[in-house]
Amino acid sequence: MNDDPRSVPDDRADDRADDRADDHADGRPTRGGLGRRAVMLGGAGAIGSVFLGTRLSFGQPTQRPTVVRPAATGNVKSVHLVGTDGWVSMPAGSPPDLPFFPDSLAPDGFDTYVFGFRDVTQMSTAAEVAAVRGKAQVSAPMLAFDEGDEVTITLSNLGLLMRPDLFDGHTLHWHGFVNAIPLFDGVPELSLAVPIGRDLSYHYRPHDAGTYMYHCHFEDVEHVQMGMTGMVFIRPAQNRTPVNGDPIGTKYAYNDGDGSTRYDREFAFMVTELWSAAHYRDAHIQVSDWTDYAPSFWLLNGRGYPDTIAPPGDPRTTAAGRLQYQPISSLIRCNVNETVLLRLSNLGYQNHAFTLDNVDMQVVAKDAALLRGRDGTTNYQVTNTVDIGPGESRDVLVTPRRAGEYLLYDRNYAYLGNGGGTGWGGMMTVLRVGAAETYGPQTEPNT
Amino acid sequence: MRLNRPRRHDIVGTLRRGRATGARRRTTVLGAVFAVVAAVAFGSNAGAQAATSEGLLCEQNAQQTFSLTARSGYISTPDGNSIYMWGYGMSAGNFQLPGPVLCVTSGRTVTVILHNDLPEATSMLFPGQSAVKANGNPAQPQFDSGGSLTSMVQPASAAGGSVTYTFTAGSPGTYLYSSGTDVTKQQQMGLYGTLVVRPATASAQVNDRADSAFSPQHEYVYLLSEVDPDVHLAVERNQPVDWSAYNARYYLINGRSMPDTLAPNNASWLPSQPYGALVHIKPYDAATNPLPAVIRYVNAGRVNYPFHPHGSDERVVNKDGRALQGTDPTAPQDLSYLKYDIDVMPGQTVDALMDWRDVEHWDPTTNPIPTEIPVITDQLLVGADTWFSESPYLGQKGTFPSNITVNNECGEYYHVAHSHALQQATNYGAAFGGMMTVFRIDPPAGCPTS
Repeated sequence: MNDDPRSVPDDRADDRADDRADDHADGRPTRGGLGRRAVMLGGAGAIGSVFLGTRLSFGQPTQRPTVVRPAATGNVKSVHLVGTDGWVSMPAGSPPDLPFFPDSLAPDGFDTYVFGFRDVTQMSTAAEVAAVRGKAQVSAPMLAFDEGDEVTITLSNLGLLMRPDLFDGHTLHWHGFVNAIPLFDGVPELSLAVPIGRDLSYHYRPHDAGTYMYHCHFEDVEHVQMGMTGMVFIRPAQNRTPVNGDPIGTKYAYNDGDGSTRYDREFAFMVTELWSAAHYRDAHIQVSDWTDYAPSFWLLNGRGYPDTIAPPGDPRTTAAGRLQYQPISSLIRCNVNETVLLRLSNLGYQNHAFTLDNVDMQVVAKDAALLRGRDGTTNYQVTNTVDIGPGESRDVLVTPRRAGEYLLYDRNYAYLGNGGGTGWGGMMTVLRVGAAETYGPQTEPNT
Repeated sequence: MRLNRPRRHDIVGTLRRGRATGARRRTTVLGAVFAVVAAVAFGSNAGAQAATSEGLLCEQNAQQTFSLTARSGYISTPDGNSIYMWGYGMSAGNFQLPGPVLCVTSGRTVTVILHNDLPEATSMLFPGQSAVKANGNPAQPQFDSGGSLTSMVQPASAAGGSVTYTFTAGSPGTYLYSSGTDVTKQQQMGLYGTLVVRPATASAQVNDRADSAFSPQHEYVYLLSEVDPDVHLAVERNQPVDWSAYNARYYLINGRSMPDTLAPNNASWLPSQPYGALVHIKPYDAATNPLPAVIRYVNAGRVNYPFHPHGSDERVVNKDGRALQGTDPTAPQDLSYLKYDIDVMPGQTVDALMDWRDVEHWDPTTNPIPTEIPVITDQLLVGADTWFSESPYLGQKGTFPSNITVNNECGEYYHVAHSHALQQATNYGAAFGGMMTVFRIDPPAGCPTS
């Protein structure tokens, strides 16, 4: 949708170096210092916005929504994502692992180089979009759609601020989506890939409710590990026609027909590991042998404990400090006797086993498929430990009967540390159960 | 897809585009190795034409009697490496990896005569089968005079020994057979294969349930395993193996890595790796193509392999040779389920039904996609060849720059399927390799050229 696709200059190293210095000298983003490339990309974004059609006005919320707000007309929904690089922060006090961690090139407050996505759907100017280059977030913006939506996701490749020598493409792979158009699958050898300075509008028509995930499939082992991973889930048509006399507004995880997947609150968890050495090597123009994979941090929604329970943030402001680009909180809150839906998706390369102390977990779906046979036999599984392999998802219902604090954590204790340090860390978060009516109705996942 | 030449060019292109300087260095070194191996491999098969064969190749006979020989040989990897292996092959044939797929009928007696050409004792385990005997005696773990375990089952002695196993084929499904002697080493060296047990009354079903029926022309085995080349080099050179340094570099489906997984069965350029892994189907149609394909996943390795098919779910109907069903005596409940990622544990087997359904019927005139495909200059074409058609529509083919090798024949669709522990989807770290293959979906009328 660029007016002249061949107009992208191919030698912008100096501009990018300038951008880098300007943007992160004090660890905060600036709106100045845009290179010519960034301006050009902004132009492409503006044209893309026109193409995307009607937008709804949401005003400027003080708290950025957890889930991306599409531009929508009825069930026609459009999202604009960008792919770029950036810097994030592992939990304070993580021991050094020099030269890999903390990264000597990291701006103040940050320690780890990443690739990632950003949501620019609601950005109104081209300059705003262009300024996102070098400011990726991890985990990626959370996406949610309704069954039957007409979904267009435009992906723009803003390039890598730290690595002007690379010409990596980016793609979007909707993992688990029953895909009628392989061209939009995101595997660059078998479908389209987006070069730097270009964009591509993916079209999806989700028919099956459930918990999915999305990630870049370009140089997959690298780009996924670098942070281009996010949650996407589909809300069932049954939400519009509640069953069992449930009131309008009742939420279900699936079209269960019997209300058995009804929930009051939902929390989604992108499960990943982070291999500091590989992130360092990508920042320092070196190469990893991916078969040496040896992660050093274990993350929920891009954060290690105790950052997992810190409040949600907004990548557009510095309010969250060093967690600016890790905006998604994993703190679970509910009132006693409410049912909480936990959506778990694993885009790490290791198996994980999540234990919730003192509260039963009921697994109702795996890989976005209700555990129900073709003859209607329900096979939900009650357990205290939910296993999840790389590329899998789980939908789990919990109904705490007593107020209190409960830990949700990886039962593999080797993954409960940060960078080999002492103390608690890694894949752990808290389920905080209040007395009745402690918390008002949930308006956003993960809040 | 025309696969009339070695695919190694493709992976070299992948490495080149991967701008991985380390990988490039490795390619250069291995390239020299490859040149030598290629000369041997192609020389010994000069003039041999590989039949274009896809899907399961069964080894079967009315007596259900198989004579296998454990021997050494070499496999090649797509990056040009050559790996010393041990494997089971037909005694009348040659070394191969993995062992032959033995297809038998449930409830009937099976005989496997194992000859051992290896320099150490070896044996075969048949988990899931009943009344397993070795030379007529019940199969039993073997201990030396000091009480130490020497083998999990009676072995064939080194360098020329043999042993005859008999058993009654178990419940319908898929099983792993593998060595029960010096297992850490012999499993890593390649002593494994697949046993397919068919229902006594319905050979085109996974199990005894009618809802496990599949299309017999679309039956596939994915035997998953891994290789640490350092171990194999040490064994080849008769040097001690440092197991504490174990680190797999190659991940295999049926003894091959992507893109060799796409080559047909018995490809002449893969003389000891006879089994391909390309799934080749047409869209589901209730009238003309109602039956799903079946993929039989078998983990012969030492870690989980979480296998992720793109584009369509698969229905898990069997695990470890047992139907997923309830206990109702007259009509056992269906406990199968759909998955988009099948995480196969070591030693486990999973049988999954798969089809691809054209739920949208996108059509350029009657039902066009509502977004715009970028012009070719706004696309990033990776490497010098591609599979996709430059069209979103099944059976339609766009135009390509003349420097691109187009593997797409008639606008057919391709989806990858691969391990989602993504380091396993590499060849020694280089992406788009390893434990990966492709599902090919032809237009309903088929490809005119195929």
